[in-house]
Amino acid sequence: MPIEVKKLTHVYMPGTPFESRALNAVSLSIQDGEFVGIIGHTGSGKSTLITHLNGLEKSEPGVVFVNGMDLGEKGADLIAIRRVVGLVFQYPEYQLFEETVAKDVAFGPTNLGLDADEIKRRVEHALKQVGLDPAEVSEKSPFELSGGQKRRVAIAGVLAMQPGILILDEPAAGLDPMGRREMFDLIRGIHDSGTTVVMVSHSMDDVGRLCDRLFVLNRGEIAYTGTPAEVFVHDNRLHAIGLDVPECAKLARRLREAGFDMPEGIYRTEDVCAAIIGNLSGGK
Amino acid sequence: MLKNITLGQYFPGDSFIHRLDPRTKLLATVALIAIVFVAQGFSGFLLIAAFVVACAASTGIHLKFLVRGLKPIMFIIIFTFVLNLFFQTEGRELVHWGFIRITDQGLRMASFMAMRLILLVVSSQLLTLTTSPIALTDGLESLFRPLEVIHFPAHEIAMMMSIALRFIPTLMDEADKIMKAQKARGANFETGNLIQRAKAMVPLLVPLFVGAFRRAEDLALAMDARCYRGGAGRTRMKQLKFGVIDAIAAVAMLLLLAGVIALNKLNLF
Repeated sequence: MPIEVKKLTHVYMPGTPFESRALNAVSLSIQDGEFVGIIGHTGSGKSTLITHLNGLEKSEPGVVFVNGMDLGEKGADLIAIRRVVGLVFQYPEYQLFEETVAKDVAFGPTNLGLDADEIKRRVEHALKQVGLDPAEVSEKSPFELSGGQKRRVAIAGVLAMQPGILILDEPAAGLDPMGRREMFDLIRGIHDSGTTVVMVSHSMDDVGRLCDRLFVLNRGEIAYTGTPAEVFVHDNRLHAIGLDVPECAKLARRLREAGFDMPEGIYRTEDVCAAIIGNLSGGK
Repeated sequence: MLKNITLGQYFPGDSFIHRLDPRTKLLATVALIAIVFVAQGFSGFLLIAAFVVACAASTGIHLKFLVRGLKPIMFIIIFTFVLNLFFQTEGRELVHWGFIRITDQGLRMASFMAMRLILLVVSSQLLTLTTSPIALTDGLESLFRPLEVIHFPAHEIAMMMSIALRFIPTLMDEADKIMKAQKARGANFETGNLIQRAKAMVPLLVPLFVGAFRRAEDLALAMDARCYRGGAGRTRMKQLKFGVIDAIAAVAMLLLLAGVIALNKLNLF
């Protein structure tokens, strides 16, 4: 079982007036090859949760396991964990620092202690994976690229470590609709090539479209878990905790309430379209 | 690593000292520092210490935060104590052991020095712990305003200070985020020799500086967009006003000063 979290609790600045409980007894497990979404509004603890998944925040022993490694254990091999779990933070383009794109992408693999040939091969592969032409961008300064390209380079920097599990925090934040679409295609491509993907977002539209399974976080606790269809059934409750269901799920619900024959739990644009067409042709 | 910086840490509260005008607190802190140097006997120091402890207790701030602030200067305190202890040769001899000679005068001076330093740090800490950075710079600006006749840029300095203070938590946050991102890429900030560690800072410092410049530019634009033209003719939303509690604080400071002078005159111990 690749990721297993058992009753994880995280308190920030304990014993001060600023004390706050970010996570409260969160348990979850993620299987190999899954595409999982973690959703919750700002401050629900999703960012804290993912930093625990690659040992950036240390938990008690026996709480967080990745591929059988106990991340909370004293002297846990952090490099080994980071080799397995790649973490792409929100606005990853702000972490770029090297003179050239190639050097920046090579930072991760270099820290893993790989040899020069392997690093070069990985850098090229990672750049191709994110849809950039290595020949064109390798020698450019990352600071002269466009915002979307910078983000791709930053993601390539994590992919070059070839993690089996990739965690992305709001990968599409601040991108225009075109950029968002390209970003999600890219992530789907990474998943299709065999990587387990965990995507953090507050947009139900995005996670609904991409993920097999969702974890809904609210005030540091898991409120719902299941397939998107199973989760979106609770639309009133989701609304109350500051989240929304996809636009198409809302439309389907309104139509159902207006007396049309719409199946329960549909949320994909295609499914809702098909149901509407079915209603129209059936009515004639 | 970034968590133990307490610089300018403000503890919100609603105590008597919290509610004082920032100018009162600034002046009172200066006065307290002066009084610390007026005291010439243990009795005087005890009175001041009792006053400071009473002030600290009234704010409701946990003692541990005041003690934590002393940690960085512990070395200086011990150093001056030892220096004064060994190199003051006047007075009655207490210990003579080889070349080490400790006199009662030396012990007295050394303890005074240490107490002065501790009282200085604790009282100025009380100021920053009970005053929000913004109130503090407002107070400074207001106190330095009279100097503008000799072209002292009081407003500009206060503005620069408040911007700097405003961005300390933001930049620390950002540093923390970048550090985590680079750690996730296998960066190692904790081990290695001095050169390796200095090198390891590059992936942290470059993005931090780039971010700081970006923020500075955004801030300048935002200030421009709201017609910021410097201090001339600027009014404020929160007017600083002295109240009854400020008068009480002034009287308390005067009483403390009088008490210390009286104890000096009595020459108790």
